[in-house]
Amino acid sequence: MKMFLRLISFIRLVFFFSLVVGATGILFAGFLIFHVAGDLPKLPSPLSRIIETPQSLIYASTGQLLWGLGERKVVPLEMVSKDFINAIVATEDHLFFEHHGVNKLRTLKGLYVTLFGAGRVQGASTITQQLAKNLFFSFEQTWTRKFKEMLVALQIETANTKEEILSAYINQIHFGAGAQGIEKASQTFFGKPALELNLAEAALLAGLPKAPTNYNPFRYYERALKRRDIVLERMVATGFISSIEAQQAAAIKPTLHQKRLDARSGSYFLDALIKELIHTYGEDVVFHGGIRVYSTIDTRLQSFAQEAMKQGLENLDALMGIDSNNSDPSEKNQTEKDRPQGALIAIDTGSGAIKAMVGGRDYYTSEFNRAMDSQRQAGSGFKPFLYYAAFQKLGVHPGTLMTDKPVSLEIPGAKDWEPRNFEKHFTGNMILKTALTQSVNTIAAQLVTLTGPEAVTALAHACGVNSPLENVYSVALGTSPVSPLDMATGFSVFANLGIKHDPFLFWRVEDAFGRVLFERIVQNKRVLDPALAFQVVDMMKAVVDTGSGRSIRHLGFDRAAAGKTGTTDNYNDAWFTGFTPSLCTSVWTGFDKKKKLKGVDGVGITGGRGAAPIWADFMINAMRGEPEREFIIPDNIRFEAVDPSTGCSPEAGSPILSVPLKTGQVICKKVIP
Amino acid sequence: MIQKWYDPFSVGEWVRRTFSFLNLGFLIFTVAFGASEFRFDWCEKLLGTYLLSINDLRPETGALWELGQKTSNANNSLNKIITQREDSKRSVQGADSFSKLVESLGSGEWVTLEKEQFKRLYLTLSPGIGRQLIDPSYLVWLLNADTTDRIFCEGMTEGISLYFIDSQNQVVHQIDLKKKTIAEIESGNAAAPGGLSQMEAFSNRIYPSGQFFDAMVKLPPEMISELMVDPALLLKQEGSIQRVGIWNEADGGYIKLGFEFEYRGETSVLIIQAREWAVWQLSLLLKGQTP
Repeated sequence: MKMFLRLISFIRLVFFFSLVVGATGILFAGFLIFHVAGDLPKLPSPLSRIIETPQSLIYASTGQLLWGLGERKVVPLEMVSKDFINAIVATEDHLFFEHHGVNKLRTLKGLYVTLFGAGRVQGASTITQQLAKNLFFSFEQTWTRKFKEMLVALQIETANTKEEILSAYINQIHFGAGAQGIEKASQTFFGKPALELNLAEAALLAGLPKAPTNYNPFRYYERALKRRDIVLERMVATGFISSIEAQQAAAIKPTLHQKRLDARSGSYFLDALIKELIHTYGEDVVFHGGIRVYSTIDTRLQSFAQEAMKQGLENLDALMGIDSNNSDPSEKNQTEKDRPQGALIAIDTGSGAIKAMVGGRDYYTSEFNRAMDSQRQAGSGFKPFLYYAAFQKLGVHPGTLMTDKPVSLEIPGAKDWEPRNFEKHFTGNMILKTALTQSVNTIAAQLVTLTGPEAVTALAHACGVNSPLENVYSVALGTSPVSPLDMATGFSVFANLGIKHDPFLFWRVEDAFGRVLFERIVQNKRVLDPALAFQVVDMMKAVVDTGSGRSIRHLGFDRAAAGKTGTTDNYNDAWFTGFTPSLCTSVWTGFDKKKKLKGVDGVGITGGRGAAPIWADFMINAMRGEPEREFIIPDNIRFEAVDPSTGCSPEAGSPILSVPLKTGQVICKKVIP
Repeated sequence: MIQKWYDPFSVGEWVRRTFSFLNLGFLIFTVAFGASEFRFDWCEKLLGTYLLSINDLRPETGALWELGQKTSNANNSLNKIITQREDSKRSVQGADSFSKLVESLGSGEWVTLEKEQFKRLYLTLSPGIGRQLIDPSYLVWLLNADTTDRIFCEGMTEGISLYFIDSQNQVVHQIDLKKKTIAEIESGNAAAPGGLSQMEAFSNRIYPSGQFFDAMVKLPPEMISELMVDPALLLKQEGSIQRVGIWNEADGGYIKLGFEFEYRGETSVLIIQAREWAVWQLSLLLKGQTP
């Protein structure tokens, strides 16, 4: 009897305690709801108002649409593959059609696990709650945010049908690679409308919203496929498909939209362009203003540039004995870091328009734009600036004789500077044209001591080299870091025989109604004497024809071209910057870290071996179909034949070299001590 | 355990009390309350309806509304730029002189100027004065030979720059007009108070009018017309010419001549353009040399 009474008393106690707790809970929840309800965000009506931000469009110079910023193509549910709808519901919220915004059992379970599962936090968001979060709340994990999100979800459910909610949800979720909304994602990854997605593709896309970057199929294809298998399992578990259908879908490896992949690879250019637009107009205008931007990029040249860089770096991998076929996703990133990088930028010499840009091996692996933002030593690639400064300041010319000999220069407060030649020997007397063609460092060192480094840096800056340059003698040998953009801009001035054009990324900006906000006009700024510039160009032509850049000719580029290779002392950087009269291209290869470019044979890789082949590959394709043009010879230039070892008229049987001379200049006159 | 006075005295009494109508009713109500909520979600619906009823009173906050705000900011910024540009354009289109054109554009502002409007403004200047701006034959090539597609007009700190651009957006010709220069050009139709001696550019090249005209009439007639490109300007002036000065430097194939007038005891100077080669011939005569 006593036991029975105790049991009864206990049950009574529990019952009334539960009642009190329940009532208190209800009262507290009621209070909390009324307290926060006034601060909850207002819901737009209809919910489809989320699409109203106009997209800004970026066009190529050739007219194609390159990219849409804030682009979100909204489609009704009927225009989306049933497989995708099933997949997303199965994965994200299989009871979506049964609850009223909140899955109570999942919420209680999540609450229990979060409270009592040590260190574990279990989410229980329904599709409606996710929609509420995406539309109104930050991603901060707080109880208050979760509570508000739940309340908004309840209102969304009350005010909208399930179809409207699902439609809003699939049209605003992020799939990665800049794709927001299912239609955009379908076009981005598979190049087809969302209605045409098959089960294999739909399941792959449905797996992405959980972690769009980590499962980005362009970058981690295998990882995305594993995630897709989980989606298919969920679809089987929730009865949307049979296990046979799941197996069949899992066996399919969907083909990604290659053109779109390429477009994103061209994102080095887009990133630079967007950065400049934001600098000019601000983020709101760029991302939400619906502007139209007509960029300078030429999609044909961009495609050639990407292909040339890809092929060139693969060749470089082979040259260095690096395995480029490691397809294991887990090891791929690590391998990428151990591979050399590259950058290419091509500028239209007639205007300064940037026609093509590759900022690295793979945009998805590294978004750092080496074409514009990296700062690397240019090595001998910098010498043309020195030679022009010498022509201008010392009155010397390509036929002036100097001596390749050991040089030791006293540097106050530092060790003597003793530049050495790349070939490690000294040739003796030679004219300046030969000195540049053979990239003789000792003669460059003698010239810079006569001109002073300030004259060289001032000239480089005048030609558009914007990187800071040190006023030290070694600047003449390219020890001050510069970017490929700097080099291409500076060499464009030589290609134009002294006319400078500032490089730029877009021609025109309009608002959504076609009203012009900005229009680029091309101004010619003369910064160099045309005759002296031509003399440097003639010497740089010899570099391509017979000097350190002659691999260009061996690779089949037979148009009029001039350029200069550049290799740093320790083989960390290999450059080639060259131009035709209409297009100037700079190519850099090297590691991001300070690491030697060394072949399997142990020999260092020079600009002529590493960068020049990429340049040649790109330029052969880029110039195809363009009219043949020669460099214009200024009126006050005449050519004379000289003996390269004396600088005087050649005697019978002696070697002959043709040098351009400006009116008033004579050969066989030693002006340098 | 002490028996309380209100405790039941038997098990039967316990059972009866436990399963009383009140208790059973309460239990059934509580269970039904919970079960119906799980089954019909009425609590969520009630809350949803309540929140919907106060929707219009709530703030437009959160990512979605911020997006709307950003769109609104973007539209405002764009409208501001466009309005400013259209105001400048209207103002430029209404300009009937180069000085008004300069006043229409602030630093950094730009508009596209119609070729016809530039022609109109240019033709308001007398031929001699117009030459200071641009040679008329060169202008014919620029505007009438389809060399120029548009004229891009940009406000600068001290004036404006006019860019004659072709269809490739390449600048074919550029004219920088400083406010001061414009004022000088436009006042070129009238004599400025003062004398030649006060103008340094004429020093050592000032001649009495008699000497100047004596030398001038010795030149061939076709050379005289090149020397007096715009004689109507001189005829319009009141008073008599006392002295004539020759400017110390040439500009674009022309040299300025300054004519000092005296009228009612006041002196003034009118500057006109003359062909450089004609002035050169005249100078030789003035120096007593045979051209």
